[in-house]
Amino acid sequence: MTQASTSRAWLAGLARAERRRLGLAVGCGLVAGIATVAQLVLLAWLVTSLLVEGRAPSTLLLAFIALAALMGLRALAQWGQETLGLAASLRLRRRARGELLDHLERLGPVGLTGHHSASLAQRAVDQVEALDGYVARFLPQRYLAVLLPLVILAVVAWLDWLAAVFLLLAAPLIPLFMALVGMGAERLNEEQFDAVARLSRHFIDRVRGITTLQLFGRTAAATEEVHAAADDYRRRALRPLRLAFLSSAVLEFFAAVSIAVVAIYVGFGLLGYISYGPADQLTLFSGLLALLLAPEFFQPLRSLAQHYHDRASALGAAEGMVALLDETPRRSGLAPPAPHAAGAVAELEAVTVSHPERGRVLGPMDLTLAPGEVLAISGPSGVGKSTLLQLLAGFVDPDSGHRRLRTRLEVAWMDQRPLLIHGRLADNLRLAAPAADDAALHRALVAAGLGELVAGLPDGLDTRLGERGVGLSGGQAQRLALARVFLSEARLVLLDEPTESLDAESEAVVIEALMALAAEGRSLVIASHRAAPLACADRHLTLRDGRLEEVIHD
Amino acid sequence: MTERRATIATLAPWLRLLGRRRGRLLAGGALMALALASAIGLLALSGWFITATGLAGIALAAGGAMTLDVYVPGSGIRGFAVTRTVARYVERLYNHDTVLRLLADLRGRMFAVLAGLDAQTLSRRRASDWLNRLTADIDTLDSLFLRLLAPAAVALLAILALAGFLAIWSPAAGLAVAGLLGAAWGWLTLGQARLGLAASRQRVDELERLRGRLIEQLQGLAELETYGTLAGQRRRLEAIEDRLYADQRRLGRFSALGTAVAGLAVGLGWLSALWLAALAWQAGALSGPLMVMMPLAVMAMSEALTALPMAFTQFGATLAAAERLNALEDARRDDADRGAASLRPGALALALEEVALRYPGALTPVFDGFSLALAPGERLAVHGVSGSGKSSLAALVTGQRVPDAGRVRLNEAPVGEIAADVLAERVACLTQHSELFDDSLAANLLLAAPEADDARLWAVLEAVELADWAESLPRGLDTRVGEGGRRLSGGQARRVALARLLLRDPGLVILDEPFAGLDPALAARIAERLDGWLAGRSVLYLVHERAEQTALPGVDRWQALSLLPEKDFAPPRGIFQDRAKH
Repeated sequence: MTQASTSRAWLAGLARAERRRLGLAVGCGLVAGIATVAQLVLLAWLVTSLLVEGRAPSTLLLAFIALAALMGLRALAQWGQETLGLAASLRLRRRARGELLDHLERLGPVGLTGHHSASLAQRAVDQVEALDGYVARFLPQRYLAVLLPLVILAVVAWLDWLAAVFLLLAAPLIPLFMALVGMGAERLNEEQFDAVARLSRHFIDRVRGITTLQLFGRTAAATEEVHAAADDYRRRALRPLRLAFLSSAVLEFFAAVSIAVVAIYVGFGLLGYISYGPADQLTLFSGLLALLLAPEFFQPLRSLAQHYHDRASALGAAEGMVALLDETPRRSGLAPPAPHAAGAVAELEAVTVSHPERGRVLGPMDLTLAPGEVLAISGPSGVGKSTLLQLLAGFVDPDSGHRRLRTRLEVAWMDQRPLLIHGRLADNLRLAAPAADDAALHRALVAAGLGELVAGLPDGLDTRLGERGVGLSGGQAQRLALARVFLSEARLVLLDEPTESLDAESEAVVIEALMALAAEGRSLVIASHRAAPLACADRHLTLRDGRLEEVIHD
Repeated sequence: MTERRATIATLAPWLRLLGRRRGRLLAGGALMALALASAIGLLALSGWFITATGLAGIALAAGGAMTLDVYVPGSGIRGFAVTRTVARYVERLYNHDTVLRLLADLRGRMFAVLAGLDAQTLSRRRASDWLNRLTADIDTLDSLFLRLLAPAAVALLAILALAGFLAIWSPAAGLAVAGLLGAAWGWLTLGQARLGLAASRQRVDELERLRGRLIEQLQGLAELETYGTLAGQRRRLEAIEDRLYADQRRLGRFSALGTAVAGLAVGLGWLSALWLAALAWQAGALSGPLMVMMPLAVMAMSEALTALPMAFTQFGATLAAAERLNALEDARRDDADRGAASLRPGALALALEEVALRYPGALTPVFDGFSLALAPGERLAVHGVSGSGKSSLAALVTGQRVPDAGRVRLNEAPVGEIAADVLAERVACLTQHSELFDDSLAANLLLAAPEADDARLWAVLEAVELADWAESLPRGLDTRVGEGGRRLSGGQARRVALARLLLRDPGLVILDEPFAGLDPALAARIAERLDGWLAGRSVLYLVHERAEQTALPGVDRWQALSLLPEKDFAPPRGIFQDRAKH
């Protein structure tokens, strides 16, 4: 409940920023509605002039022209309402996505460890898009659904208060049925979402295993099964749909019955069969106009009901986004102070780091890193090697103690799964240094041991890497990440299990390149449990119970 | 013109699929038409009634005698009111049922297409991305009937019927309405579709690009943040967003234009009907109530036209979805192309000769001039680190992949010429990952032998020492294993996959790390039973490293697979060493 109300408040806050556009959209909607009323007034007047006063059509040409002009005005106003709603929606979505992306960046690599990147991307892309209908259509319509029926009711009451009462009879029921419609729409949304998700899971499960099905020669049977599952879903989904549709049918029913009731009341009144109330004062003009206005009274509500599912999906999406925005970053984002020791690259003093679910992972510990130093950190998995690197990288703040880094220290990060973007080889390298020229790229590739490979490629630096780096072996991807480090100005290089997924031969090439990095005067911190990277370090520390211990090699 | 033909050709297979449910579609359309006709009837009859009573009232007040039957039109009005509500309700329910049936058809058809794809095509895209897009495409196509075809057809029908109805009293009014609304219909369907084609077609691609970029950025957040290049990445994202929103703005404007056109056309339609009816009335060709009825009937048409522009502006998305799914179908391997060679019973011989295989986009090939020979009944263990091509080797033998060069033969018959069902029956493969389905334990086993009875299932479970465990489960063989077998431990899943294999009777068995995740004692016990089953079959083991103290039963020979050196794209033969076991 609180979750729903905060997500509602968040949406309302976003909408407030667009209130000028949304207000204009409502204004356009009002103009369109009033133009419609004016058209109907003119129509009723024309009919009376023709049939009751017996005027010739040609003498009424001006009124016909005025009607056409009103239609033009209405079309323009409708266009305005839609485009203004859309403009508000586009701006709002852009802002919502920006807010989300800013927050993801603030959370940083450590803050996002519990999330799957595909589901985060889905939130920032698809869920933001799901706000569209709510902003562009539902929000303006929500005001129009109140204002326009009031305008129409006033006109009908002026014509014949009893006819207005007939319209009003349905009015107290409207909120009730709107709630029903809303519940129906929400339920429909949930049901559909649930069932479709279940169906998709089945479908995806079978598609993932398609090779197995082929190997067993069972694809035909599986196809039948997919069809049967979808058909089963249909049978189960129809029951809630019945209720959902019934609630909107009630609204339709009121709209239809109100026309019928007003028509019969007006007809009998005009014939003089009804002597009660204002019925004997009815004229063809007032009677016809009351009839024409009756469906218009319900039209804004019917439109609102149609857009109700937009609201349900927007609220669902907002909940997911607000949950993400509520996660607090575990770092201040402030620049750390400079080290006390002269020349040191980084200093940790009595630092501790705890993870919410795991308790204290690191510290209290001290560490000083000299320029050009190669420091290896070992220890069994889960002991906090990665946390130490993350602390040095600034992805997480120490809970206590001090972290001091050289002013404006540039850092490079490398882990088991280097980032490979869909694009050219050069694009992948320039992630580290957008301004680097081709010669610099080539130098970096040579330094990382990829020189010969790239020289043999027909497209060279313009070679396109397949989706998610398909086409690169683990070792090649790792060396590409190393080439990025060479390209950068980073003085501190943090490496998390850099050779974990490599065979011995590739590992040797990577380590050779690492030594070349150190030779350039860069400091390296390598977290690993493999022998080869540990053996090449100047200093080898091991993590035990959150503390560092020196390991002396013979 | 050619463009239109291409559009029809793209949609043709899907329209044919819809055609299979012609009866339901027609009934759904008829219900839509009935709801619309009632709405028109309600407003038109009410207008007629009020005018008639009004005129009668005036006549009565003037002392004239006038008889007017108020009960027939009165009950007509009530009838239309109820019919409209009921028809709309039934129509929505019925058509949703239809759409869900169509969805089942679409998914069934798509699955059949996917099932015919080879591993090469299947692995070209990351499974989850591809599947999300696939299901989204299916859902998009699913709107073909309910949002595009049916409303457009019903609207056109209603325009013609209404024009005909009006023409009974005033042919000019009928003609004017037919002309105006007919032209508007053309614009709202074909015109809007054409207007929004490019932008709505791109929209899905742009969204996917945005999603892809964002996933990259999130996965590489650590590197990007430390290099200080996050802002640059963000600008790339924003550039995609700009393009996406420029398209959406365009689409929104087109759609708004359509709405305005629909409103204007209906307005001008009833205005001209009124004008022409008034002239006819003046000429004495029709009565006053009829004159009022005519514009009101046209006014009620707005219900049929307002939904069209939004749906048709997005037509490009439907077309693009159909194109993608068609392309997928074209990629299907043609089973007719495969030969019908059969394989004699008993152990099979396998030979790979000078095989070359390179994945599209890969910098280095997997195989180049690779050869391997396996005699009937022989057990060969091929070892190599991950990425050296073990899975590719299995895929070549099972016909999942086709070599770029060289031959793969089973008993002298090239794999590509063996009938698919024969190959599936005679070659069994235990893949590296235990592929289990989100279904019951029994259903997962029955995959290998649909005709097997419970006794056989229990026997194979006994062989992998899972029988006691299965018996202890409350639902026994009916226990669901969860998505990808996730409710089982890795070792249990492996053993189920092994048990499944034991239900078959192949001539060649490929075992990719058969005992992965099993403790050595258990692996040894299972290996003993496996040994008996393997007798009289040829066996190809695929393992990570060569180990003399292996649990693999009865290895005759070892062969190494090594990574191809990158510097040399066409290395001489002998990249693998043939080492006979002692």
